[in-house]
Amino acid sequence: MLVVLALTVAGCSSTKSTYHYQWNLFFQSIFSPDGQILGGLWLTVIISIIAQVIGVILGVFAALGKMSKVLPIRWFANIYIWFFRGTPLVVQLMFFFFGLSVAKIYTWPDLTLGPLTIDGPIQAGIFALGLNEGAYMAEIVRAGILAVDPGQMEAARALGMTPGKAMRRIVLPQAARVIIPPLGNEFNNMLKTTSLLFVLSVVELYETFNIKQGQFFAPFEFFLAAAVWYLLLTTIWGVIQSWIERRLARGTPGAQAAGPSLTARLIGLRNNSGNQAR
Amino acid sequence: MNDGDQSTNLLEAIGGAPPAESANIVEVTDIHKFFGHNEVLKGVSMTVKQREVVVVCGPSGSGKTTFIRCVNHLEKIQSGSVKVNGHLIGYREENGKLVSDKERNIAHQRREIGMVFQRFNLFPHKTALGNIIEAPIQVRGTSEDEAIEMGRKLLARVGLAHKEDAYPAQLSGGQQQRVAIARALAMRPAVMLFDEPTSALDPEMIGEVLEVMKELAREGMTMIVVSHEMGFAREVADRVVMMDEGLIIEEGTPEVFFTNPQQERTKSFLSKIL
Repeated sequence: MLVVLALTVAGCSSTKSTYHYQWNLFFQSIFSPDGQILGGLWLTVIISIIAQVIGVILGVFAALGKMSKVLPIRWFANIYIWFFRGTPLVVQLMFFFFGLSVAKIYTWPDLTLGPLTIDGPIQAGIFALGLNEGAYMAEIVRAGILAVDPGQMEAARALGMTPGKAMRRIVLPQAARVIIPPLGNEFNNMLKTTSLLFVLSVVELYETFNIKQGQFFAPFEFFLAAAVWYLLLTTIWGVIQSWIERRLARGTPGAQAAGPSLTARLIGLRNNSGNQAR
Repeated sequence: MNDGDQSTNLLEAIGGAPPAESANIVEVTDIHKFFGHNEVLKGVSMTVKQREVVVVCGPSGSGKTTFIRCVNHLEKIQSGSVKVNGHLIGYREENGKLVSDKERNIAHQRREIGMVFQRFNLFPHKTALGNIIEAPIQVRGTSEDEAIEMGRKLLARVGLAHKEDAYPAQLSGGQQQRVAIARALAMRPAVMLFDEPTSALDPEMIGEVLEVMKELAREGMTMIVVSHEMGFAREVADRVVMMDEGLIIEEGTPEVFFTNPQQERTKSFLSKIL
C-alpha cells in the first residue's frame, strides 16, 4: 500500500520544478526496512567479515614473507603487496570477475554450501576484496611484529622453541595488541568499500538503495537512508572495537588509557590525557 | 598448595639435576665471531665440567656477552665449535666438516641450555606461572598438570608463590628476574647461562637475584655467568675468567684471580670495579 502511495507521490513531484521530498520513504527505509534492505545489509556485513578474515590471514603470511630470509619468498610477498596496493580496487574487481571468466580462465560457477548458494560475482568480490585487503594488512602486521622487542624472540628460542612456534606463541600475540587498532579501522573501511561491488551487480546495501532510488526516483531520500545504515554499521563496529581494545589492554600498565574513547574515535579526535599515560 | 613449602631447593623442584651425558658439560673450542669485518671473538676456548660455576668478566666490548650467546647459538660463529652435554650446537658434522644445522635441530639442542637475560625478557602477555609452563608444555610436551605443579614449586622456591597470577608488568625487576630463572630451570637444562643478570636491576634488588643464583650453584647446577658481581664470584665461582678484546686473557680460582692477578689488564680492570 505504502509503496503505491509513494509511487503516486513520486509521480506528482516529478512534474514540478521544485523537489518534492518523500520523507516517508526515508523513514520507512530506516524504521521498517523491507526484505531487500535487510538482505543487502546482511550481504554487506557477511562479505565484509569474510573479506576481512581473508585479508588478515593473507596479511600475516605476506608480512612473514616480506621478513623471510628466503629471497624468492620475499620477492613474491613484495610483488603481491606492490600489485594490490598499486592498482584500483575497481580494476581488480572487474579483472577477477569479467577478465577471468571471459578469458575462460575461471568462470566463477555458483558455489553451494549446504542450503546456501553463493553466486559468482559475490565470490569474485570477496576474493578481490580479501586479496586487496591482505596487501594493506601486510604492512600493519609487519609493523606490529617489528614493534615486539626482539628479546622476546630470543627468549622463546633460547627455551628451545622453533622460529615458527616462537612466532605463533610469543611474537604474534604481542603484535596483536599493536595490530588490533589499525585492523579495526581497516574493517570500518571494509564495511564501506563493499559498496564498490555494485560494479559486479552484487546487490549489497548500496546497490539495494541504488535500485530503490531508481524505482521511486527518490535519490535524496534513499541515498540519505543508505548513509544512515552505513553509519549504523560503522558505529556498532566502533563500539565493538573499543570493547576489544579494552580487553586486550588488560595486564598492561595504563590499561584504562589504552585507547581513544568511543566518541573520540567516532569524531576522529585523540584523547591526549589518555595517550600521555601510555 | 606450595604456600607452606619453605624449601629453597631449586633442583629438587625440577626432579633433581638433569643427567649429564658428558664429563664436560660445555666444550667451546677456538670460536671466532665477526660482526661484519669486526672480529669480536678471536679464538675463545673454554671447558666447563659438570657442577662447575664459571664467572666471566671483562670491560664492555670485550666480547663476553657475545661469547655466552654463542654457547646457545643465539649468535652464529664463523669458526670453531661449541659442544654442550656432548652435542654440537648449531652445526653438525658431515664428512669431517661442520655444516649449519636446521633450525628445528638447533631448537632441539637449546632445550639443554637455560638462559637468563639482562633484560629478563619475560613474556608480557603471560602470567608468572604462564611464563614458566610455556616451554615445558610447548617444547618438551609435558602435560599441563605436571607443568603447573613444577611451575608452582619453582615459583615457591624463588620466593614468589604468591605472584603466580601476576603479569610481568606487575612485578619488580628483581621479581621478574627470579621468574626468568625459574622459567629457564623448568626446561631441566644441563647448563644455565646468565648474561649480566643483575645489570638492569636497581641496587636493592640485586641481592634477591644473587641469592637464587647462589642457591643454584650450591645445589650443583653447571653455570656460566657473565657478571661484574665480584662478591658473587668470590663466594660461589670455581673459576673466574677475564676477557678483553675478544680473547680470554686470564683465568683462575677466585682466590688466585682476585689476590694475585697476573695480567696488567686484569689488575687495572679489577681496581676499577672492586
